[in-house]
Amino acid sequence: MSLAVPSEHGKPLRGLLDAFRSVEKSLWFPIGVVLFLFVFFSLATESFATLRNFTAISGQAATLLIVCLGATFVVLMGSIDLSVGAIVLLVGAGGVQILNSFGIGYWVLPLAALLGGLLGAINGAVYVYGRIPSFIVTLGTLSVFTGIALTLLDGRAIQFTAPGFEQIAIGQFIPRLPNIALWSLVAWVLVVVVAVRTRFGRYMYLIGGGEQVASTSGLPVRRYKIYAFAISGVLAGLGSILAVARLGAAGPSLGSDLLLNSLAAIVVGGTSLAGGVGGPHRTLIGVLIIAILDNGLNLMGVSQYLQMIIKGLVVIAAVLVSRNATQEAVVK
Amino acid sequence: MNTHAAVPHVPRTSVTFEAAGISKSYGPNVILDDVGFEVPANQVVTLVGENGAGKSTIFNILSGLTTPSAGSMRLNGRPYAPRSYGEAVDHGVSRVFQEQALIQNVPVYENLLLGQDHRFLRYGQLVDRAGMIDAARRIVEEAGIDVDVRRRTGDYDFSKRQSIEIARACLAPTLVAGIRSPLVLLDEPTSALDRRDEEAFFRLVRRIRQFGSLLFVSHRLSEVLEISDLIYVLKDGKLVARLDPRTADEPLLHSLMVGRERAADYYYERRQRDVAAQPVVLSAEGIDLDGKGGALGIEVRAGEIVGVGGLLDSGKSALGKAVAGVVPPVAGKVALSGAPGRTPDIRRFVGKGLGYIPAERLVEGIIPSFSVAWNLSTGSGGDLFSGPLGFWRRRREVATARHYIDSLAIRSATPDLSCRRLSGGNQQKVVLARWLARRPKVLILDNPTRGVDAGAKQEIYRLIRELTEAGVGIVLITDELLELIGLSNRVLIMQRGRIAAEVPAPADAKPTEHQLVVRMLPQGSTGELPSEAPAVAAAPFQPAALETV
Repeated sequence: MSLAVPSEHGKPLRGLLDAFRSVEKSLWFPIGVVLFLFVFFSLATESFATLRNFTAISGQAATLLIVCLGATFVVLMGSIDLSVGAIVLLVGAGGVQILNSFGIGYWVLPLAALLGGLLGAINGAVYVYGRIPSFIVTLGTLSVFTGIALTLLDGRAIQFTAPGFEQIAIGQFIPRLPNIALWSLVAWVLVVVVAVRTRFGRYMYLIGGGEQVASTSGLPVRRYKIYAFAISGVLAGLGSILAVARLGAAGPSLGSDLLLNSLAAIVVGGTSLAGGVGGPHRTLIGVLIIAILDNGLNLMGVSQYLQMIIKGLVVIAAVLVSRNATQEAVVK
Repeated sequence: MNTHAAVPHVPRTSVTFEAAGISKSYGPNVILDDVGFEVPANQVVTLVGENGAGKSTIFNILSGLTTPSAGSMRLNGRPYAPRSYGEAVDHGVSRVFQEQALIQNVPVYENLLLGQDHRFLRYGQLVDRAGMIDAARRIVEEAGIDVDVRRRTGDYDFSKRQSIEIARACLAPTLVAGIRSPLVLLDEPTSALDRRDEEAFFRLVRRIRQFGSLLFVSHRLSEVLEISDLIYVLKDGKLVARLDPRTADEPLLHSLMVGRERAADYYYERRQRDVAAQPVVLSAEGIDLDGKGGALGIEVRAGEIVGVGGLLDSGKSALGKAVAGVVPPVAGKVALSGAPGRTPDIRRFVGKGLGYIPAERLVEGIIPSFSVAWNLSTGSGGDLFSGPLGFWRRRREVATARHYIDSLAIRSATPDLSCRRLSGGNQQKVVLARWLARRPKVLILDNPTRGVDAGAKQEIYRLIRELTEAGVGIVLITDELLELIGLSNRVLIMQRGRIAAEVPAPADAKPTEHQLVVRMLPQGSTGELPSEAPAVAAAPFQPAALETV
């Protein structure tokens, strides 16, 4: 890095350049993995590199991305949220019932965000005021939320009856791009802006990088920890309704693969579990890796069980390599 | 090498430890530069030097905690390059750390034999408790300390625990592990000892000479001259002298360590002002640190520096954290600038013009991996650097960082540079700038110059003086006696969580170190102090006063 002080006039440009450079350095590995998987599956299968398949991938990846964005804040501040999948299930189950009973149409979206935010805030409050590790808290609520949701669903998949509701997910404002993927990209842009340009985002980095420093400097650490869990809940709630709209129903398996996939995407993207390193901009790449891997292996006809093995190994390998590169060793 | 250095005659064959050309640097910071020294068998060798001269780094290298960037070491004639503390111990090198490394809630004997457990196994798995207790008793008897090895370690006070740790490092290798000539590293071992345990320690040192060697770091020069066979002086990471204590004296050691004439008015005492007429900016009442019913009070006027001194476990840091509201006290109220007193809370106090600088810089002060600008803006995120909608004011942040990098002369820093790459003194300036940017009314400083080199120290002293001239009230908690005396308008002495004395320190009638130290010691041991003994020798005091004139 150059030690020369940049002139006042060249500041924004220089800042942009510096930002680009620093991003590039630590991002090359996950981007490289995406490119490798892309080339590999294009060569290995005929149906991978087709527009139709890309539309399918973007639809599949969208829910994962939306859910991961909020959870990234939680990981960024050095905690963990295992309950996002359960929140998706519970909000989906509740949302579909409300949609069918009251016919509120699109108003179910803000309601879902509110419900998800509430569930997340419960996680955060128990974690902060109970002084219980977030791992334990969200492991507990994972079970609680799942139990309530399965009771609501009575173990069955419930279809929504609102006509045309699925259009918010599978309609295509932009040809070939399902709306759910469009919403997820919009959410990604907004969350990235929040992460790098706002007080909330900065506090997430500070709490994750040095919680003691943050609290000694007078930051309202506990309050912002609850905010982070609440935002994770809000995005999980929104992702849930969009997923329900895309699938046409809320079933007991909704969100069941999110527990592993969300953490995998966040960590593979390069947000350190130790906190303070990474950010939501990287999570997009992590999500792409997971989604392409899922899709490509399916197209190759790899068995479901072998897929699980491969995905687990890829996650471990990705973290091993990127950790060596950044010298970040400590995981809380 | 210095001309004063009369080299004691040491036959080559008896050398236990040798280091040659040891260098160590972290990025641009050179900590050790081509250091070579030896520890002859059955001798006590002392390293002296100012804070930051590189003594601790040498100890870290010897005990396997860091590896040197260059150079080689030999132990008992064989190459020695430990990669972990465990490996160092296997080679017969043991160390007493500055911070205690005892496990509080196990019996003393388990601590004494920590890492030696495998020697007390029967049938592979069962622990021979009786055998352990016997071995531990031998260590305690040999060390001459009055300790029941079956009692819980935490039941003993700080001084006794320090003795236990010294006994472990000195005697366990020989008595338990059967290492014939151990090398014991002692990092300021006497700083936490009370009078009685100190005598036991000196007896122990004489015993160890019969079978092993000692490498010793101390700030108490008279003690160094008394017990050493050989003294090495370190300055700024270089070895500047090798001395025979019989031909050296304190002034010589001091001049070699500092290597320059210190400014006559190091603490800017001439600029100290009378504050009797100034308004009170901080007033704490009924502060109860531990729920045992203490009721500490402290009052600071605008432009005043109130020093807080005391032994390591006197509770002075806890008082600072309580008043600042970092760790709110069990009971008590703090009033800022005449406002009604409230339970202290750092989050609210920061908004009211209070700043707190912690002693543990790398844990509580800065986030080393984050940039200068980020570290500086921490603490002002709620007002200075974020807009009404919560957007971060990055341009103002960078401009502020640039301003303080210039005005505080934070060397080799740019706003984007990560703080890890700054020296201790410059890191501390970043922490100071965090609060200066807020134009504080009250600052609570806990050891603001710990681990800061001499040059940056003086800059920080000047800055503190300038702040008082601008009307800032300062609570200065420090282990450095002369800093405490030189900077403060008045000094509070703490003992075991209570304020034991208040000593006025006007510019023209500063108290002596001795006057303060006597008040720091628990009753009973004060009587044993010879009244005219140099204060430094008697002071059970952490990084004790180097700047003795």
